[in-house]
Amino acid sequence: MRGVVGHFRELDSAVEAIEELKQSKLGDLTVFTPTPRHEFEHALHPPKSPVRKYMLFGGLAGCVFGYWIAVWASNYWPLVVGGKAFSSWIPYTIFGFEVFVLVGALSTVAGLFIHAGVPRLTMMVGYDPRFSRGDYGIWVECSPDRLAAAEALLRKHGAVEVRGDR
Amino acid sequence: MATIAYEPRRPNIASANVQLPAVPDYEHVDDAIIATLKPTKAWFAMLMTAIAALGLGVAAFLYQVHQGLGVAGYNPPVMWGVYIITFVFWVGIGHAGTLISAILFLFRAGFRTTIYRCAEAMTVFAVMTAGLFPIIHLGRPWKFFWLIPYPNWRLLWPQFKSPLVWDVFAILTYLTISSTFLYVGLIPDIATLRDRETNPVRKRILALLSFGWRNTEREWRHFARAYLFLAAVSTPLVLSVHSVVSFDFAMALTPGWHTTIFPPYFVAGAIFSGIGMVFTIIIPIRKYFKLQHFVTINHLDAAAKLCLATSMIVGCAYLIEFFIAWYGGVQVEQDFFWNRVFGQWWWAAWIMITCNMILPLTLFSQKLRRNPAWLFILSIFINIGMWFERFVIVVPSLSHEFEPWMWTTYAPTWVDYSILIGSFGWFFMWFLLFVRQLPVIALTEVKEIVPPRLKHAHAHTPANAEDFEPEMPGDR
Repeated sequence: MRGVVGHFRELDSAVEAIEELKQSKLGDLTVFTPTPRHEFEHALHPPKSPVRKYMLFGGLAGCVFGYWIAVWASNYWPLVVGGKAFSSWIPYTIFGFEVFVLVGALSTVAGLFIHAGVPRLTMMVGYDPRFSRGDYGIWVECSPDRLAAAEALLRKHGAVEVRGDR
Repeated sequence: MATIAYEPRRPNIASANVQLPAVPDYEHVDDAIIATLKPTKAWFAMLMTAIAALGLGVAAFLYQVHQGLGVAGYNPPVMWGVYIITFVFWVGIGHAGTLISAILFLFRAGFRTTIYRCAEAMTVFAVMTAGLFPIIHLGRPWKFFWLIPYPNWRLLWPQFKSPLVWDVFAILTYLTISSTFLYVGLIPDIATLRDRETNPVRKRILALLSFGWRNTEREWRHFARAYLFLAAVSTPLVLSVHSVVSFDFAMALTPGWHTTIFPPYFVAGAIFSGIGMVFTIIIPIRKYFKLQHFVTINHLDAAAKLCLATSMIVGCAYLIEFFIAWYGGVQVEQDFFWNRVFGQWWWAAWIMITCNMILPLTLFSQKLRRNPAWLFILSIFINIGMWFERFVIVVPSLSHEFEPWMWTTYAPTWVDYSILIGSFGWFFMWFLLFVRQLPVIALTEVKEIVPPRLKHAHAHTPANAEDFEPEMPGDR
């Protein structure tokens, strides 16, 4: 798919361009920003990140495993202390908690990678190193007949550079 | 024409609304922080010193492995000594990083932004150091993995009711999560380094390490959510790790140890010592790399207030220990605490009280809180004081148990001291290597507090940027 990428020096110019591009429905948008800005979220209205579910289910699985390994091992290899139960849930809460945190946090990172599309071995079309420094970028992916309109819109809102890519 | 009345700035007040008045734009952030990555002779000299200290520690450890634990200063029943003291000391140091990066993140304490990367790296290296000491302390260190539950041919499993097994889980979880937290935060910064790098080999390595991060809004959205949840689970983890370490002591029926105050007392002490080490590290870095306009006096002031608060909690815990011994009415406990402060170990106890309770009270003075030289000197005292706190916890209890025939003394040998010095070498070697390869201040998070470039002036745009931040009221 072809598209054009616009470089913006100012945040508000980029936000205005996004709002108009969304209204005009010229194509799919990808926004590059050196740091997260809530202004882009307001302009793009993206869906909520599902990463939190990874934390919940990963954490619960870890918690169950932490309790289970301690209980199972205590019953499998009993270390009998006069009159005490083989398994004792109070100290085993430490294992439940620690493995909850461990698996929950690692699952969260896995969720981040899955939904953010990393690791990525090839650089994305339209990316420019200036987008990690101070500039904002808007990549508009559209059919060839809409390229000129997208370019004009980006320039109208103050893009300092617009180039085509594919 | 209406005039806009700006509220006068109060530059000498540390607040949650952190501004960096001398940082004009995002490009300046990159330029100033990435400039710290160039190697210098001073850095090389410090690295060599750290490696030499590490070499001394390794040599002493190999000697101990060859000769046996008798070359350390153990004197039965004092069978926990410098190694366990140093283990608890380094775990404590490792607390401030996650406190600053996770707990202060959840509380939206802005002053953390410029110091959290250093603190996080410090945490990882401190826990790496701490993890060595239980192994060094073992008579047969090569059998350390017996504490990890894994299927083996003898069908043996560890005792899950033992605090030592709790420790293994707590420390390994903490090391894994703090490393993950550090690395996840580093990914966008490594991508920035990748984009600036001109050397093709380094560029390739940085591209791999950044996982092809491209700064898209989609990536940031999931990143922000993941970072929030990592912070949320790291917060109870911080509190749990040193609580579990304190159970190593509190579960034993030994005078001075068997007390329910230990978990909060250890956690407060750990945070206090960690902030002390943050000052020890960040103040020279700030001066050496000329980062005063990033790590401002306001940030140090706010961190100093946290230091003062934790010092007072620790001091309160010391006093409550005495109160419990008196109020409990147990003769052995009362004798033990008397011996700790006025008897055999008075010198160690008074070093602890002076460094951890008395000297930090100077931070009530705003002038001293805003004096980096004093904060650095104080941080050295705090580091010493917190090592002695662990000495005072470990040694006096074991050397003064229930029966007079068990009372004895303890003196570390050159092997103990060499391994202690080696631990500092190990810690600083990793830290110095980190400082040279990766940004010591988080590039993207600092950019978040720098006002973005705007076409139309915005009400939130600071109109009164200054070249520097005055250290005291009236400075110009």
